[in-house]
Amino acid sequence: MKQKTRKTLMLIGRVLILTFFLLAVILPIYWMVITSLKTAPEIINAQSITYFPKVTTMENYASLFEMYNYGQLLENSLIVSITSGICVTLLSILGGYGMARYDFHGKNSLVLLALVTQMIPSILVIIPLYIIFSQIGLINTRFGLFLFYLMSNLPFCVITMRSFFERFPHSLEEAARIDGCTKVQSMFKVVLPIMTPGIIAVFIFAFIGAWNELIAGTVFINTPDVWTIPVGLKSLIGKYSVNWGVLMAGGVLALLPTAIMFGFMQKYVVEGLTAGAVKE
Amino acid sequence: MKIVMKYLLFYFILLAAICLIVLYAIHLHRKHKKSVRPRNKINLEPFFYTAPVFILLVLMFGYPLLNSFIMAFENYKLTEPDRIYINGFDNFTKIFSDSDFLLIAKNSLIYVVLCVLFQFIFGMILALALRKKFRGRGVYQAIVFLPWALSGFVVGLLFRWSFNGEYGIVNDVLLKMHVIQDRIPWLGTPGYSLLVVIIAMIWMGIPFFAIMILAALQSIPKEIYEAADMDGCGAIKKFFSITIPFIKPTIIMTLLLRTIWIFNSFDLIVVITGGGPANTSQTIPSYMYTMAFSSYDFGMAAALGVVLIMVLGLYSIFFLKMTKYSQAGDF
Repeated sequence: MKQKTRKTLMLIGRVLILTFFLLAVILPIYWMVITSLKTAPEIINAQSITYFPKVTTMENYASLFEMYNYGQLLENSLIVSITSGICVTLLSILGGYGMARYDFHGKNSLVLLALVTQMIPSILVIIPLYIIFSQIGLINTRFGLFLFYLMSNLPFCVITMRSFFERFPHSLEEAARIDGCTKVQSMFKVVLPIMTPGIIAVFIFAFIGAWNELIAGTVFINTPDVWTIPVGLKSLIGKYSVNWGVLMAGGVLALLPTAIMFGFMQKYVVEGLTAGAVKE
Repeated sequence: MKIVMKYLLFYFILLAAICLIVLYAIHLHRKHKKSVRPRNKINLEPFFYTAPVFILLVLMFGYPLLNSFIMAFENYKLTEPDRIYINGFDNFTKIFSDSDFLLIAKNSLIYVVLCVLFQFIFGMILALALRKKFRGRGVYQAIVFLPWALSGFVVGLLFRWSFNGEYGIVNDVLLKMHVIQDRIPWLGTPGYSLLVVIIAMIWMGIPFFAIMILAALQSIPKEIYEAADMDGCGAIKKFFSITIPFIKPTIIMTLLLRTIWIFNSFDLIVVITGGGPANTSQTIPSYMYTMAFSSYDFGMAAALGVVLIMVLGLYSIFFLKMTKYSQAGDF
């Protein structure tokens, strides 16, 4: 009997904890979405703050595109994130494969180098890069931003890819070779298809890393035509009146792609996160 | 043009130095191996795979970093491009005599300690609650882990809006619950503004801890718990004698990585408070950012960065020594 009540108590405790965390995540996001659907007078009515909009409106989203050129921001963000994501993934496959399959001189230092880059404050690299970029004309270009995201997301992705490859049984590859596959064939026909989830996870890391980045964007880009979403939205705050409805709408649109990606690929992303940071 | 030449020259010297070191290492390596077994050809294949990564890291990371170190000893202001010269340790003396530096160092410490502590505690609780399978766990995880995928910028916006003094939901809820009598201008009050940043950071970082701890928990073999049950161990005893020792390496690694990562990240500060009011929510990296791109004093910013790196390095060594990580596993 005592055992049973204890078990029920444990269950109740667990449900309470899980509910708490669920609400802690959902409520702030709910507040964001709700704000973006309110009309401007309702948002800044300090006397009665409404928890559900009296009048639901899409005007914030509309003005985002009409007045603040959100389409251009979206395009810039997509171009930079997708291209850097693809390149990071390709380089990670190469590097990860080399680091997992071969023993060579300097391999450990390369791993260490990649780890150390994770520990150095990015601003310390951004400052000199700003000078270098302005000397070679990469300031205010998407290419400069692409280069930076390529560099900043690569170390973590290589290490993650390496541990994915380490888990992949070498014997499978050897079997393919014995059956007459060339190295390239065995790579494309055996290794990569099995590794697809891992590759997608790495792409998501690189994509999210570039998509969410703010500081380098603000430093390297000054012309509105090349702004990414965070940089463009940041320019809307700091003025005397902040249009919170529009900002929240922009925020919702900015988090949508990452949230969808993460939601569908959560299992692999989680696997990649744990594989990348902790050595087994 | 002159500056470009200077950089090019510098760059070539750097490359040459790297090549020399690599050649020397290969030379040593061969000499060393000769005595053990017959000399064999070095397999170039792995270098082909890893070279792009290596070159990119050296060019885009190592080289700028080197520049930063040099800049730290220079009078380098973007507003005075003709007066760039080496000034020794001037930047460093200026930093340590800056009256705000103590405040900023204190802010950084409070920010890091509170964030890491609460992320760890909440992450642990969430991981323990998620350990047993239940219906819909996948969907639940996808929602609860979502803050990990959100950008600091969006999270910053969200918290800045929620803690808004006039129209914010936090004040409204607290007023309705009669916790406070008047609206608190969170972001305009020294102390509170840093607190808002800390809360936002904790909110964002819980998933990472939970993910890591959960993975470690799931790797503990079930048989051990069964054996403990047979021996009549209680839940608390099991937790401290089995669970904790098993996940200790993961905890240590995650704590180390996260502490440094949290310390370095400052986009939340830029978005939520901008360091204000009067630097009371400024941390060292965000101060560097302000120094570089508001006062355009690159030399000072770089010097701050050098101080920061030294602190982080000392912390890592100290932390790994303290936790005896070398015995728990390898890096």
